[in-house]
Amino acid sequence: MSPWSRAGWLATPGAVLIAFAVVQAVTGAFLMLYYVPSPDHAYDSVRFIISSPAGGWLVHGVHHYGASFVVVLTALHLLVSAASGAFKRADRRAWLTGVVLLLIVLGLALTGYLLPWDQRAYWATVVTINLSQLAPGAGRLAAAALRGGETIGALTLTRWYALHVIFLPAALVAMVIAHTILARRRAATVEEPPVPFYPEQAARTAVIGLLAGAFLLALARHGAPPLGPPADSSDTSYVPRPEWYFLGLFQLLKYFPGRYEVLGAIVIPALAVLALAALPWIDRRPERDLRRRPLVAAGLAAVLLAVSALTVLGWRDRPPAAPAAESWTVRAIGGRVFVERHTCARCHVETGVADPLEALRLSRGPEWTAAHTSDPEMIAPGLREPPAPVNEREIAAMVAYMRRLSGEPYPGFPLRTETAAAVFSRYCIGCHTLDGDGGKDGPDLSRIGRKHDAAALSRRIADPESVDPKAEMPSFGSRLSADELAAIAAYLAARR
Amino acid sequence: MSALVGAFALRPATASARERWVRAAATSDLKAGVPVARLIVVPLVDGWYRDHARRTVFLVWDGEKSVRALSGTCTHLGCQVGWDGATNTFRCPCHGGVYEADGRVASGPPPRPLDTLAADILDNGDVMVRL
Repeated sequence: MSPWSRAGWLATPGAVLIAFAVVQAVTGAFLMLYYVPSPDHAYDSVRFIISSPAGGWLVHGVHHYGASFVVVLTALHLLVSAASGAFKRADRRAWLTGVVLLLIVLGLALTGYLLPWDQRAYWATVVTINLSQLAPGAGRLAAAALRGGETIGALTLTRWYALHVIFLPAALVAMVIAHTILARRRAATVEEPPVPFYPEQAARTAVIGLLAGAFLLALARHGAPPLGPPADSSDTSYVPRPEWYFLGLFQLLKYFPGRYEVLGAIVIPALAVLALAALPWIDRRPERDLRRRPLVAAGLAAVLLAVSALTVLGWRDRPPAAPAAESWTVRAIGGRVFVERHTCARCHVETGVADPLEALRLSRGPEWTAAHTSDPEMIAPGLREPPAPVNEREIAAMVAYMRRLSGEPYPGFPLRTETAAAVFSRYCIGCHTLDGDGGKDGPDLSRIGRKHDAAALSRRIADPESVDPKAEMPSFGSRLSADELAAIAAYLAARR
Repeated sequence: MSALVGAFALRPATASARERWVRAAATSDLKAGVPVARLIVVPLVDGWYRDHARRTVFLVWDGEKSVRALSGTCTHLGCQVGWDGATNTFRCPCHGGVYEADGRVASGPPPRPLDTLAADILDNGDVMVRL
């Protein structure tokens, strides 16, 4: 066998994996300098890590993408070992520890996913814990143990954190040691002497390791993907999606309705793991060439095909994301106007006692924000005189604005649009709906421009009874300025 | 020893939930026959952590003295369903579960209808829900 043979290259993921596990351990240890596992602070502490310490974004980015590398390399290592029959040369228990290592790696990925405590993290964990509940027999206990408390919250976060930073890594280290020792122990049927790791195999490992490392840095050069909105257990609009390597499993769930759910969630994955673990007992002949092991070849091909197909389907089956500017609702744009009209800027400026609104990312719920908006003094008593009373709908609009602003900078809209949005979110939204947001007493105005032009709308708004004597809508002629009336009429007329 | 360790690790899991009646809406907030989403804030004790939990409940009012309260939590894997007025169904964004307006499963993976919560209308029109 030539020293640079293909089999030698294919054997590199195992050793490179160790290097990447070390990268995860080191970056993880440094992230622990700042991370706080509490619902009040987890999100903010991760934001702090990304924005504040020198290179924090890079450490976070490397840890984020590094997790994918470890998952991929583990899967690759397992696949190569199965396909090349390498497991037949070693103690069978080496294969078993390898399967356990795969589960530990997936467990680390899963527990780490919750820690940023954003919407993505929260809802992925809701689904995971509810899945574990489906397991026959011990399901309820498992779910309760994973959850810690009654709901997914403070107790969940601390135990997942503990699992992520100490229990699972400790198990990983123990298993890696066992795996390495067992994998180097020759099986009784093998007569060829072991190939020394140094120098050829070490060189191959270094080449692949450096290439993979460069790829990881390239991925992480802009940091990890931005955090989503903070975890919110009542947000009905959030569409959760798992990390990409769990997308296949996520997609599988959609095919098993009702009581068959347990098949997709527990039975099929458990059988797959059992079949994987039993491979050395299924494929017992010393034959290692894949072409003469049709059963294993067919099985591996089927698994690969199924996993890739499910992952691609899961990837494609996602709701279309709205373009950035369009996703600013009329309420959020109106909120911008109110924020500027009110006294927020007295404190929320560069030189003020609070950060400018643009620099804030809301990590509090809408109730807190609404309460603070109506009475800013509640968080800073004595700092300033109470504000003028603010209308409830203006508060709702300002909350919508600030929540939206947490996601992306204000893109800017024409003055007439802003004026119209302020009018709509102050007066109209109590009774009328626009794009699914608003009251139900009056007609939905999302497409009102198809029925009336701006002049007709202007008359209807200023004096509804002049158009329809039985109109229940109050007249707004005296409450709106001429500019405001023209702006809202033109805005609604453009809704087609 | 291991029993002790196990008991320590699982201790919080044995805490039991406490239910209470909370005001969810007034009948004037509702619309007869159409599910209306209400966000209800309830005190939450989560181990050492005190917070307010926010639950979404859909109230279906018959227009008179009776109201049904449906939990907004999908019975499949616990995501939050939303009301789709165009098709008169509840839809779950996670795995595509669809429920009828009365909470029955229309299609998709949910194993059972949306959970019903105890609900009542007081004489003054307040709608109370047990959470």
